[in-house]
Amino acid sequence: MQTAAGAPIIEFKGVSKTYTTGTHALKDINIKIYKGDFVFVVGASGAGKSTFIKLMIHEEAPNTGEIIVNGFRMSEIRRSQVPLLRRTMGIVFQDFRLIPTMNVFDNVAFTLRVVGASSREIRKKVTAALSVVGLGNKSRMFPAELSGGEQQRVGLARAIVNNPSMIIADEPTGNVDPNMSYEIVELLTEINRRGTTVVMVTHEHQLVRDFNRRVIMLENGTIVADNADGGLES
Amino acid sequence: MKLRSIKYLTVEGLKNMWVNRLMSIASIAVLIACMLLMGAAIIFSLNVDKALGVLRDQSIVMVYMQDGRSEVENKATANTIRDLDNVKEATFVPQAEGLESLLDTFGEDAESLFTFVEGENPLPDAVQVKLDDLNRFDATVSAIQKVEGVDSVNSMRETAMRVNSISRLINIAGFWIIGLLIITALVIISNTIRITMNSRKLEISIMKAVGATNNFIRFPFVVEGVVLGVAAAGITMVIIYFVYKAVLGAIQESMMTQGAVPFTSFMWPLLGIFLLLGVLAGAIGSLISLGKYLRKEGSEFRAY
Ligand SMILES: Nc1ncnc2c1ncn2[C@@H]1O[C@H](COP(=O)(O)OP(=O)(O)OP(=O)(O)O)[C@@H](O)[C@H]1O
Ligand SMILES: [Mg+2]
Repeated sequence: MQTAAGAPIIEFKGVSKTYTTGTHALKDINIKIYKGDFVFVVGASGAGKSTFIKLMIHEEAPNTGEIIVNGFRMSEIRRSQVPLLRRTMGIVFQDFRLIPTMNVFDNVAFTLRVVGASSREIRKKVTAALSVVGLGNKSRMFPAELSGGEQQRVGLARAIVNNPSMIIADEPTGNVDPNMSYEIVELLTEINRRGTTVVMVTHEHQLVRDFNRRVIMLENGTIVADNADGGLES
Repeated sequence: MKLRSIKYLTVEGLKNMWVNRLMSIASIAVLIACMLLMGAAIIFSLNVDKALGVLRDQSIVMVYMQDGRSEVENKATANTIRDLDNVKEATFVPQAEGLESLLDTFGEDAESLFTFVEGENPLPDAVQVKLDDLNRFDATVSAIQKVEGVDSVNSMRETAMRVNSISRLINIAGFWIIGLLIITALVIISNTIRITMNSRKLEISIMKAVGATNNFIRFPFVVEGVVLGVAAAGITMVIIYFVYKAVLGAIQESMMTQGAVPFTSFMWPLLGIFLLLGVLAGAIGSLISLGKYLRKEGSEFRAY
């Protein structure tokens, strides 16, 4: 933990989120995540994990409190700035969310097309990202022709291809078999080793135990455990 | 937006059209139907307008001269009339010509009806007058009546007024018909595109997640709308060409058709109107149906 390394890359200060239905999904959350951290977010179903992620990527806004991500203050962020915020992060979804009509290469290239990269840059970066996730030889295949684990690795490649400063993943291993779960977390660890902050929500306790990282535990919308100061990185 | 992005997004829009080709065809068909109705309304009113114009120009006011005056005197009277306010044209019709045109109107068979006593022509000299503003009809006619040497004015007042009110009615009706058709086209197009939107929710949520701006997301949809609009405009124009030709051909068999407005005279303006309508309907229609999704920030519209 490099807790002393300047301002946090993600900070929640007294954040609460109540949905319009009246559900108090998060209550007075205070948290600091620093550059280079690898954080697991765990908790029972309905504890507020996804809500935590949605607030980070500004998919939802908090009712009270302040959230600062990569220098963007969510209380002041303008609608036109949200895309800029999202470009600093790679988002990985439980359901992969690949575009079925595009092949692997184009799915990964999508991130770069959005920022108007040249086709040369696209070729270079997509090839690199696909080789990081070990799919260099499957770039012409379509999502339907891949296994769940492979699809999620494409999702991962799409998340890292534009060198984001953080990876935000909500149950990325939820739809893949246990062996593949390991591989995906291994990959995230590898990406984290290169300096990218990783926040990953998961249900799988075995995974959390085996990878021995910072763990934030949510229960009924509050943090009940956080081993940030517990000196991990053993 | 970078030129490179515009190129990419244009191709994406065209691809989307192909992927959703059933919907594309449905949209084009709807647009064509609206444009055909609109075109029919426009062409109909053009032709009625022209027919009315002919009526209006046809000696609506015929001024007859008193008997026993020389042709020179009557020509001078014609000049006086020509100088009156609101008189557009005043053409002198000597009695001989008057008879000829009467015979023309009634046909050769009627010639016997007009064989009068040797050399006698019962028609007086006349002046055919066209007015600028039919609203000042009465005032102008009474001014003409006061001119020295004028015997009577055959004013066809009823016809003039009717022509006036018919053309006003047609203009108003045309305006509303076209307005309603534009709204109909917009509503139907946006609904049609909304149906395809469902299958694109996933794509939009991914675009949002990787940091696409709303304009970036909109662009392919607008391209699609514009292409649909242009295609519909072109096809409609071709249909109108053939239908109009056929209709004129059919009419020619029975009646006079020289009066009809030729296709080429309204081709470009009409195509312009269609292109404008098609492009607007397509672009606005797709933006309307997209709006709901752009206001959201991501996975609220998750595909599952
Ligand atoms: N859009 C929403 N509108 C209303 N209530 C919501 C919404 N999203 C989540 N909730 C509620 O907020 C609470 C927290 O939900 P959240 O999705 O954050 O849980 P979670 O920890 O991710 O659960 P899971 O492990 O099942 O994914 C739940 O009670 C849920 O029903
Ligand atoms: Mg969840």
